[in-house]
Amino acid sequence: MTDLLRIEGVSKSFGPIPVLHDVTMAVPPRSIIGLVGENGAGKSTLFNIVTGLERADAGTMRLKGSDYRPQSFADAFARGVTRVFQEQALVANIPVYENLVLSQEHRFTRLGQFLDKRAMIAVAEKIVEDAGLDVDVRRVTSGYDFSKRQAIEIARACLAPRHLLGLEDPVVLLDEPTSALDREDETAFFDLLLRLKAQASFVFVSHRLSEVRAVSDAMHVMRDGRLSEKLDPKTTGETDIYALMVGRERSDDYYHVARQQQAVAKPMLCSVKGLKGRGFNGISFDVREGEIIGLGGLLDSGKSAFGKALAGVEPPAEGTIALAGAAARLPRIAQLIRQGVGYVPAERLVEGIIPNLSLAINLSLPSADRFSHLGVWRLRRERRAAERAVREMGIRSGSPGGPLRNLSGGNQQKVVLARWLQRNLKLLVLDNPTRGVDAGAKEEIYAHIRGLTEQGVGIVLITDELIELIGLSNRILIMQRGRVVAEIAAPVEAKPTEHDLIPHMLPSAA
Amino acid sequence: MSQTSPSRPTPPNAVWQSLRANRGMWLPILVVVGLIVVFGIASPPFLSWRNFSAITGEAATLLIASLGASFVILMGSIDLSVGAIVLLVGSVCVSLLANHDYGLMILPLAALLGAICGGVNGTICVAGRVPSFVVTLGTLSIFTGMALSILSGRAIMFDSDVLDTLSTGQLIRHLPNIALCALVLWFICVAIGIWTKFGRFALVIGGGEIVARTAGLPVGRYKIASFTFSGLMAGIAAVFAMSRLGAVGPTLGQDLLLNTIAAIVVGGTSLAGGIGGVHRTFIGVAIIALLNNGLNLLGVGPYWQMVIKGAVVVGAVLVGQDRLLSRIVK
Repeated sequence: MTDLLRIEGVSKSFGPIPVLHDVTMAVPPRSIIGLVGENGAGKSTLFNIVTGLERADAGTMRLKGSDYRPQSFADAFARGVTRVFQEQALVANIPVYENLVLSQEHRFTRLGQFLDKRAMIAVAEKIVEDAGLDVDVRRVTSGYDFSKRQAIEIARACLAPRHLLGLEDPVVLLDEPTSALDREDETAFFDLLLRLKAQASFVFVSHRLSEVRAVSDAMHVMRDGRLSEKLDPKTTGETDIYALMVGRERSDDYYHVARQQQAVAKPMLCSVKGLKGRGFNGISFDVREGEIIGLGGLLDSGKSAFGKALAGVEPPAEGTIALAGAAARLPRIAQLIRQGVGYVPAERLVEGIIPNLSLAINLSLPSADRFSHLGVWRLRRERRAAERAVREMGIRSGSPGGPLRNLSGGNQQKVVLARWLQRNLKLLVLDNPTRGVDAGAKEEIYAHIRGLTEQGVGIVLITDELIELIGLSNRILIMQRGRVVAEIAAPVEAKPTEHDLIPHMLPSAA
Repeated sequence: MSQTSPSRPTPPNAVWQSLRANRGMWLPILVVVGLIVVFGIASPPFLSWRNFSAITGEAATLLIASLGASFVILMGSIDLSVGAIVLLVGSVCVSLLANHDYGLMILPLAALLGAICGGVNGTICVAGRVPSFVVTLGTLSIFTGMALSILSGRAIMFDSDVLDTLSTGQLIRHLPNIALCALVLWFICVAIGIWTKFGRFALVIGGGEIVARTAGLPVGRYKIASFTFSGLMAGIAAVFAMSRLGAVGPTLGQDLLLNTIAAIVVGGTSLAGGIGGVHRTFIGVAIIALLNNGLNLLGVGPYWQMVIKGAVVVGAVLVGQDRLLSRIVK
């Protein structure tokens, strides 16, 4: 049978940064193709190209045997290619049927402007019926819970082309549809998917390997913009797939492993006991001076939420954090900062820096106690601190007074790190400290982190990059669905490999 | 706040780029100069000392009322109730003055009253997590209603020698005392903006509220403080406004709602927050005051004045702001 959709040698760059290299993929009719890969691997860009939101730099696409180059999302829809986004794209406060015919209302006009509500409802009911959903299309959309709304969205993506355009065999792209579903809803979701497979083809992106393997007819792994060969999910093991996703060469020099502190003999610095909050539960561990505790786990493991709680950004619901002996029950951020806790957030542009303001202002942000006296801001001291930070951290910035947005991601991140060096730092919580940072600046940041541990600062490192986790940490804690499921030592002489960690991260190990 | 670039010579296109990037800074100044030239040529009396005194006296109230509100807007919120606070404080003061001449003591009294009104605004915003636009739109009506019921809808005259001296006296020749006071207050506010923790936090919260929270700043407290400060300045502005009129009537402060926001925005402070500052508000006030005065001298009717002023506000924002910087449009 010929392929429904063929992607042939597609490449794409954003400026000088290549995001897709020569991607080739085939989607046979009535099949489910699984697509897995890390954040930033290029999955969304590929989907954007297939749905007309972006143009490929090179390569061709063919749909049902004829040339396919969509110019817009609507264009793709008109050819029977649809997509379900990660975030739900239903309008909450209108009836279900209006959502099912959304953006296609012009097919239901009478006398020029009036919408034929009855015809809309009839089509909507057919869509719901074909999908086997128990949904009253007249009800307001927000009246249904999350999983039902998702089912409605998927039904729309699969069946709207047929019932609105008369197109059979649509191609539906599913972008992490299960990340917000619980177990029970997941089962219902896969039932729906297998049911709809009789009328549509799917490309299915998910971070949960086991489910991708369970439903896919074939799968691909995407890494750094390259697509793997077609894999047979029945015969390829999860560990192998995961290694394809994250496998990289680790070099000890890059992570300055020789500078790793022997923490076992060092005094206790911080003790976390029974921390509980949204997304994590019962987390307890100790950090010694100069020790780096690595926190790994899949995206939904709750490690980032835990980091926010540990730094006091979103105070935990239960548990204590004892710093140098002084316990803080349900600690708040200002108190923790005063006690010597620092936090480098994952989303640099949203939580980390104020791009329109200068380096100096971004640097002194949490340190009003050091840079102001009786309400007066000490501008000269602040300027000197900025000059020192630029020197010591090797920050490459054009003009020191200019806005921070003119700096590269790596230099911006150095400013966020330098922010905490202005204080008497004891514990530093890092959430993906090298996300969006180029390789050179990454190594510099690793060197600064090592430098901190040499001064006795304890570090909690949360990261999606396994290799970074292994390279930097003294000990690694793996989280799964909000709990720590494994603790793995990572001493200089016996670093674990990715293959040692991966099985602990996957749900089947729980 | 912005430091000058290093002494290293910059290539010409860099100069052009920095001019472009900082056009929010110098464009308003250019507009002021342009207005003075145009009105000066079109109407000779415009450049007289007499008219200088008239303009500065008139601009004084607007400047003071805009100073506090500048901090609120810089912080990314908005205060629509400035004019209403002026009216309410004015009404209370005029009732007080009917029984007893408080002399200069009326000033701190008015400031306190205004600060209470502003504090109410800020507390509702922060504690109730209600957008400032909605809160101050509501209190705009509340304060106005309270004031009108105090005045029973009529204008009430008062006598106060101190306030007379304030409005008509000239400690410096040609510069009314009221304008002198406004200028001094402006200097103080600029100093607050540059050299104090309050000024810094206002800028930082406006530039990135989530970043400020993540860095442990007491965002809510400083928001309440900025609204309180806005109210306090509105209270002082009320005394200045009534001193010029010798009475308080239902229309006191009416034009301030639009004019304060116009002055702040035209001066180059972004409604999205985090860009600009109280130092720029002076220029914005100058533009509004020059327009008012010049158009009057040219005999432009009040209706057309409204049209022109509105166009200037929208035009200033269109030309002056780098819209790439402001992510949100609300």
